[in-house]
Amino acid sequence: MMRKIGHNMMVFMSKHMIACDEASFLVSYRSEHRLGFKQWWQLKMHLLTCHLCRKYAHQIKEMNLSVDKYRESCSHDTCSHHLSDEASSKIQHALDRELHAK
Amino acid sequence: MNSTRFLYLVSVLRLDSNSCMPEEGKHILEPQQWVERYGDYLYNYAIVRVNDSEKAEDLVQETFLSAFKAKDNFLGKSSERTWLISILKRKIIDTYRKQYSSKESSMADYEQDISDGDFYRSEGPFKGHWLEGKGPHSHSLMPEGELEQKELMSIIQLCISMLPPNLASAFVMKMIDEAESDEVCKELGITASNLWVILHRARLKMRKCIESKWLK
Repeated sequence: MMRKIGHNMMVFMSKHMIACDEASFLVSYRSEHRLGFKQWWQLKMHLLTCHLCRKYAHQIKEMNLSVDKYRESCSHDTCSHHLSDEASSKIQHALDRELHAK
Repeated sequence: MNSTRFLYLVSVLRLDSNSCMPEEGKHILEPQQWVERYGDYLYNYAIVRVNDSEKAEDLVQETFLSAFKAKDNFLGKSSERTWLISILKRKIIDTYRKQYSSKESSMADYEQDISDGDFYRSEGPFKGHWLEGKGPHSHSLMPEGELEQKELMSIIQLCISMLPPNLASAFVMKMIDEAESDEVCKELGITASNLWVILHRARLKMRKCIESKWLK
């Protein structure tokens, strides 16, 4: 009897549960899409039972926030990249050539 | 209204429109100042998106040269800087396209880039579960102080530069340029489902990279 219940549970889980690969994909996918009920439920159940994927989902959220900050920091001229003097004069030289050719 | 009066009015209005707005609000181009004024700005913009200083320098130079050649197309409605950035954007997308078309020559690399094989178990009862050491370890990747914040920014930059080009271009267009998915698909010539596989793969790699550098 117990064995049968165990077997049925295994069959049910393999049919309806998803593994970490699918769950982590859905974590990414849901950022821009509305999940269907089945996918939503499967992800919910997976996150409930898998601490690694819970951490993953949390870190992806943090990473998105950090990438937003990274983008902002670079769009306000605070990014620390500068053209080297050498590159600057090379580009100026190329542009001058065009300017004087006209 | 007779025709002479009408012509007079037209001429006055024209005169007015010229005298009231003597190029006011209209931007003009000063190519000789470009490198000094916008060199760093364009370089910053480019390096965040291509992650290669040499390539970024080339893009800046090409942008200035193309802009100069197309200077007659500048209508003066937008600022000089906005106009230059729009040219640079096109050039960056062209670079991404080239990266994508070169993938055909090395399809095996591309398959490798988008396969999950090195993150999840490929067989056994735990098929599809995280491989040992490939899943997340720490709970948080958030910086605490300003110094840590700065460090995280440079880690993000480093990790983007370590992404394979196929993944990097889609990731940067989506996450840095905040382009719509349709636009990314169109520019890179890929399907929507392909894009999501690529983005997922890029996130897996980015997360792993940030965590390993962050925990050091």
